[in-house]
Amino acid sequence: MDSDNATGLLGGLKVLELGSYVSAPYCALTLAKLGADVIKIEPPTGDESRKEITLGLNANDKGISSLFLSLNHNKKSVVLDLDILEDQKRFLKLAESTDIIVENTPIEYLRKRNLDFDKLKENNASLIMISILPFGEGNAYSDYVASDLSLFHMSGNAHGIIGPVKDPDTEPPLRAGGYQADMVAGLTATTASMIALHKKMKTGIGCHVIVSAFEAMVTMAISGLANTAFGKPHPTRKLQEQEGSSIGGMVSAIGGVLPCIDGFVAISPREDAQWERWVEMMGHPDWAEDERFNTRSARENNVEDLWVFLSEWSLTKSKYDISRDGQNRRIPCFPVNTIEDLLRDSHLEYREFFMNIEHPELGLLKYPSLPYKLNNVTVPVPSRPAPNLGFHNKVFFNETGS
Amino acid sequence: MNELPLSGIRIIDFSWIIAGPTAARHLALMGAEVIKVGSSRRPDPSTKGSPYQVYNQSKEYCALNLSNKDSKNIAIDLISTADVVIENFAAGVFDRMGFDYETLREYRPDIILLSSAGTGHTGPDKNFVAYGSLLQHYTGWNTISGYGDGNPIKGGLWADPWVGMELSMILMAAINHRMESGKGQYIDYSMAESLTASISSSILDYQISGKLSEPNGNKSLNKYPHGLYKCLGTDKWVSISIDNNIQWDEFCELINQVKWVNNSDFNTVEKRKLYELEIDKVINDWTKLQEDYDVMHILQAIGIEAAPSLDISRVYSDPSLYESGFLSNHVFADGTEKMLPTLPWNFTNISDFELSAAPNIGDSNEKIYLDLLGIDIKIYKDLIEKKVIY
Repeated sequence: MDSDNATGLLGGLKVLELGSYVSAPYCALTLAKLGADVIKIEPPTGDESRKEITLGLNANDKGISSLFLSLNHNKKSVVLDLDILEDQKRFLKLAESTDIIVENTPIEYLRKRNLDFDKLKENNASLIMISILPFGEGNAYSDYVASDLSLFHMSGNAHGIIGPVKDPDTEPPLRAGGYQADMVAGLTATTASMIALHKKMKTGIGCHVIVSAFEAMVTMAISGLANTAFGKPHPTRKLQEQEGSSIGGMVSAIGGVLPCIDGFVAISPREDAQWERWVEMMGHPDWAEDERFNTRSARENNVEDLWVFLSEWSLTKSKYDISRDGQNRRIPCFPVNTIEDLLRDSHLEYREFFMNIEHPELGLLKYPSLPYKLNNVTVPVPSRPAPNLGFHNKVFFNETGS
Repeated sequence: MNELPLSGIRIIDFSWIIAGPTAARHLALMGAEVIKVGSSRRPDPSTKGSPYQVYNQSKEYCALNLSNKDSKNIAIDLISTADVVIENFAAGVFDRMGFDYETLREYRPDIILLSSAGTGHTGPDKNFVAYGSLLQHYTGWNTISGYGDGNPIKGGLWADPWVGMELSMILMAAINHRMESGKGQYIDYSMAESLTASISSSILDYQISGKLSEPNGNKSLNKYPHGLYKCLGTDKWVSISIDNNIQWDEFCELINQVKWVNNSDFNTVEKRKLYELEIDKVINDWTKLQEDYDVMHILQAIGIEAAPSLDISRVYSDPSLYESGFLSNHVFADGTEKMLPTLPWNFTNISDFELSAAPNIGDSNEKIYLDLLGIDIKIYKDLIEKKVIY
């Protein structure tokens, strides 16, 4: 690592990304945001996320989907065709001076081309390689394929997310929106890369880390997994069989979502003391004195009736007024924000959470920055949008990008 | 060579419930010495539940009553021996206890203090009282999830484990930076910002298109078939995703729908979506007579993505998690054994994780106060008597 021009926590760190779609690109993005120098290796057809159909850039042929833009700023794009010898040599050359390679190629892809970790470390003994595989290595599913859909469902997370339903046989479990399972795999890989880097800094020894995307997603369901290990039956999805708080907090008397004039507000006046302050905020309506609602357990047993009364009240109010008044009384409650709301949120603005990056074709866009502030280091301000395909080939190989 | 990567790092963990404790857990299993500090006066709210046994694997746990002013010097002495301090109280609480970063660095100039709170530690809304489940709504995370019927989703405990993984990542980055620069760090972490950052593509999509990403259940704009299909048994489902036309043709042959093979009316996602109801019915008729795992194995054998949608007890029974060693045996003090999760990665050149059962509060009192800090035994007993060590 070159510490002379260090910026951010990872200034001088050299990273090669051999990544496609979300998981490995997200890992390398975080390293780039923390100051690492990231070269993204793409096949001649480009990262598949360039072609992702999204609302904003439908099936365009310019290779700049919202998904690609969001995951690849401040990287350099180099096109290599790893099926031809000349580009394999270029890859080997780049790997010689690299600290960390992050990759999510299919299992055996690199070994078949004689570009696997054992080969690469011949000329770089302290190399770290992070490989993200859907199911890891060395088990019955290692050859299986999986995307966000399957990973979310197989890991148990999809059974909890929708909340209880009337008929579990017609209302299926649900994966969350976006690319959460892939993001989890990428985040987990980033943590693993920092642990491996620590070992390298201490000992000079690199290593190969296999990250299982499936196990990374199971780790997101760790509370339920522990409950199961200790013999607690899994929560049913059937509404009629649901106990108070068994799915984790957003249904029943301990919390939920109320309709408002301008959207929804999420509330959780779960403790009796919080509930008393909540009732005071509503101006002590008569129904709140009712024995169906005057203790936490009573409220949990009469949650449907409770929610009717609460909704009647909330429908005449703004989500912002309710959440502000509630928070002033130390009651956990928040407006349900749309993306538009977030982009003009005064708290996020104060914390300079969104950063502007100019794109030559799309103009100035707001990107989320890192969700933490560091006091003793200046985090580099990302200024380069996601690169065009092969834009940096000319820098590295003295040729024109495709 | 086989020493765990994080041996030699000491972390004082004042955090509780899920996010902070799991962050420390990840590092404990990789060899860091994690000393959890808490008090019986106001115990970690997670203590009574089974998840506590996982959140706190491989840690030390000593009792210290931070509401007693005599505890402060002990805490400072302990922090002075440490590399990292983690806390996730509401914003401002740790400062008011007298443990703000400026104070801590007087005693340990290169200390790394990680403070995690719902909305961070600066800004007009820094004092908002938060639960992770509410943050999912506040941060836009939930607005892109749902069946698409206009109703917000109600479940999920997504925020805390996600945050736990990110906290351990940024801690390691700060530790590595300190090795090179000698500088400590104060990390002001916002759980809300973390969730918003994880939906970055929707945020860009909105700015470019002016449209909000609509929840679309298990569907995809980019693939079809892509979704859940009913299998044998109550609430049993399998996910299937067809990636390209070759897979589509192979799939149709497998389910005896030769009329759709090599058929130009079905050779793009858009065309197939025109027949969505009909295709979904045919696939459902095929899956509903089969076990979910069987559908997975049959389709995966020809390279097509499929997986059962498992409830958590079936996840715990999945054989791959035992084969890979992700679920590993723990022996508890009373001699009972349990298979509990480890970490979702394997480092090729290290041996096993550092694994031991979660401690009870006070288990490490003598080790930490007498052996590490060298407190005189009489004073130690007095501190217990006065409920400072409590």
